[in-house]
Amino acid sequence: MKEKRNIKLGSIATILIVAVWITSCGKGTNDDSSFDPSKHSWEEIQSEAAGKTVTFMMWGGDPKINAYINGYVAPALKNEYNITLETANGQGNAIVQLLMAEKQAGQPSNIDMMWINGETFYQLRQIEALYGPFVDQLPNATYIDLENPFISMDFQENINGMEAPWGNVQMTLIYNSDKVQNVPQTRAQLLDYVKKYPGTFTIDNHFTGLTFLKALLIDIAGDEESLKGDFNAQKYEKYTAELWSYFNKLKPYLWKQGTVFPENVAQMHQLFAAGELYFTMSNNDAEVDNKINEGLFPPSARAYVPDFGTIQNSHYLGIPKNGRDKAAAMVAINFLLSPEAQLEKLDPQVWGDGTVLNLEELPVSMAARFNDLPARKYAPSRDSIQSKARMELAPEYMIRLAEDFRDQIINQ
Amino acid sequence: MTRKIALIFYILFAAVPVVCGLFYAIFYSLGLTGILSDGLTLSHWEQTLSSSTFYKSIGYSLFIALVVMTISIVLALWITISWLQDLKKGILSYMIYLPLAFPAIVMAFFSFQLLSKSGFLSRVAHSMGVINQLQQFPDWINDAYGVGIIFSLCLLITPFFIILFSNLYHNERIPALAHLAATLGASQNQIVWRVVIPVLLKKSAFTIFLFVLFVMGTYEIPLLLGRQDPSMLSVLIIQKLQKFNLADIPQAYTMAVIYVIIIGTVVAILFYGKPQFFKNSAQ
Repeated sequence: MKEKRNIKLGSIATILIVAVWITSCGKGTNDDSSFDPSKHSWEEIQSEAAGKTVTFMMWGGDPKINAYINGYVAPALKNEYNITLETANGQGNAIVQLLMAEKQAGQPSNIDMMWINGETFYQLRQIEALYGPFVDQLPNATYIDLENPFISMDFQENINGMEAPWGNVQMTLIYNSDKVQNVPQTRAQLLDYVKKYPGTFTIDNHFTGLTFLKALLIDIAGDEESLKGDFNAQKYEKYTAELWSYFNKLKPYLWKQGTVFPENVAQMHQLFAAGELYFTMSNNDAEVDNKINEGLFPPSARAYVPDFGTIQNSHYLGIPKNGRDKAAAMVAINFLLSPEAQLEKLDPQVWGDGTVLNLEELPVSMAARFNDLPARKYAPSRDSIQSKARMELAPEYMIRLAEDFRDQIINQ
Repeated sequence: MTRKIALIFYILFAAVPVVCGLFYAIFYSLGLTGILSDGLTLSHWEQTLSSSTFYKSIGYSLFIALVVMTISIVLALWITISWLQDLKKGILSYMIYLPLAFPAIVMAFFSFQLLSKSGFLSRVAHSMGVINQLQQFPDWINDAYGVGIIFSLCLLITPFFIILFSNLYHNERIPALAHLAATLGASQNQIVWRVVIPVLLKKSAFTIFLFVLFVMGTYEIPLLLGRQDPSMLSVLIIQKLQKFNLADIPQAYTMAVIYVIIIGTVVAILFYGKPQFFKNSAQ
C-alpha cells in the first residue's frame, strides 16, 4: 500500500519536474533586432522603420491625451512614415515591472517606446533597461531646449541622450474660488487655512503628494541650491525633521483628520469635484483648463503656484534596451518632438502640455504660431510661475520621503 | 485511465504554475533571484518579521474577513429560511442574484458613491436638513473600521451564500428532516435552530473557510475604500511591490510567502486533525 503511494508521489514529482522544465524552455533570447540604429544614418533609420508597428506604453488615464495620440499622432505617423502606432496602457512601475520581467526572461520587449518620468528613469537605469544614447541622432533634437536645466536634468541626473524630453510642466494647486478667497501663499498661511477650513485640504499618497512634499522641503531648506545634486542624508534628516513637525501640525485639520490620504490624484480630483475638498493639485499646470472644459471641475476652479514654489519637471520618451523596433521608435519619437506635434500638444484645447523646444531655434513663422496659441483661461501663464519653479531633487529624496511619510504621518 | 489524464492535466495547468510561482517568491525573498539581488540573504525576512505593520495588516485582514463572513452568513441564512418559496422565481430572485454580476471594482465604486461624505446618502441627509455640511456626514469610506469594505464585500458574498444555502436546503432533504422533527414535537424555533441552521452550516463549513481566505486576500475593494494604515494584506504587498523603492520588492514576496505558509499550516492542521471537515463539504 505504502509502496503504491510512493510510486504515485514519484510520478507526480516527475510530472512536476518535466512541466517546470518545459515551461522554462524557450528562455533563450529571440531578439531579432539586428539593426543597430547607432551605426546608421537617419535616412537608413527611416527606411528601416517603414512598415513597422511601434507599441507605445503610456499612461492612458486622460481622454484628451489619448485623443491626441490616437487621433493626431497615429494617423500622421502612418501617412508620413508608414509606421503603425499602437498604444499599451501602463506607466511608472508597470513599465519597470514589465521590462524587469522581460529582462530576467531574456525576452525581447513587447513595447518599443514608453513615456517615462523622473523616478521611472531612475529605476530603469538601476536595472539597465534603457537603450541609448539615441537623442542626438534625432533631427528634431536640435530644437530641444537643452540649455534649460528643467529639461536637460531629470531628478538631478543629466539625461545624456538616454531619454528624449517630450513635455514640461509645473505643479499647481487647484482651488475652488467660490469657497476660498485668499489662497495660502506660505507654509504659515497654509496652516492658518486648514485651521479655518478643516477637512478641505489634503495630499495624495502617490507621486503628486510627494512632489508637494518636496516643494515644502526645499522651502524649509531655505535655499534651492541647498538640496541640489546627489542625495545628502545629513541634510535630508535635518530638513525632514522640520517637515514632519510642520506636517503633523497640519494633520488634524486635513481631510479625515489626516488619518487617511487619497490613494492617487484622480481620487483627489473626484473629491474636489464633489465639493468634499476645496483644494486639489496637479503636476500639469494646464490641467485645470482641461478639467473645466471636460465638465469635471466646477467653472470656479482656479490654479495657482504658492509663493514657496512648486516643482517643475519634464516628461520623457525612452526606448527599451531589448526593444524590437528601435529604428521605428526613434522615428516616432522624432515626430513627437517636431514643432508641429509639439504645437498641437501645447494647445489647451488639445492637451495643454508645455513644449520642450527652444522657440528661438525655430523658424520665425513657426515660433509665431506657438506665441499665437489661445491663452489658458483658468491656469496662470507659464511666464508668471517660472520664477516660483523649483528643480526636482535626486530620486533618493522621493524614496525616503515616501517611506518616512508612511512612518511619520500615516502610521502615527 | 481518464482519471490519470485528468490528474496530469490538473498538475500541468493548475499545480505547476502555482508551485513555480511559490518557488519564485521564495527565491526572490531570499535574494536568490531578481535583477537587483546581491545573493543569499535573510535580511528581507528579518525586516518583514520585525515589522509591526505586517502583523497589523494580517490582524486587520482577518478582522474584516470574520466580520464580513458573519454578517453575510447571518443575512443569507435569514433570507434563505424566511423567503425560501419566493426565491425560486419572480423578480425577487433576480434582485437577490443581481450583485453576483458586479465585478469587485464596480461594487467598490458603487459603495463609494453611496456612502462617502459627498455621496448619495450624504446628499439626501443634507437636503433633508439632517446635516448642515458634507463634512458632518459620518466616515464610512476610508474609515478605521472598514465600514465601506465590509458593506461592499457583504453585498458581493451574501447572494452566493443564499444560492448555496437554498441548494443545500433541498439537497440535504432538510424539509423532510424538519417535518420529522415537527412530528416528534419540535417547535418552529427548535426546528430552525436545532435542525436547519446546524445542517446548513455543517455542510457549508469548508466553503465558508475558503471564503474567509478569499476575503483576506481581496484587493480592489480595500484599495479604494480602505486606509493606508492599517491596510489589508494584499494592499500592503502591492504597495511594497509597486512603489518607488525597487529594493522593497523582496519584502513583498516575503510577505506573500509567509501568508501562504500561515494558510497552508491552517489547512494542514484541519486536514490531518479534522478530515471530516473536508469530507462533509465535498459530498
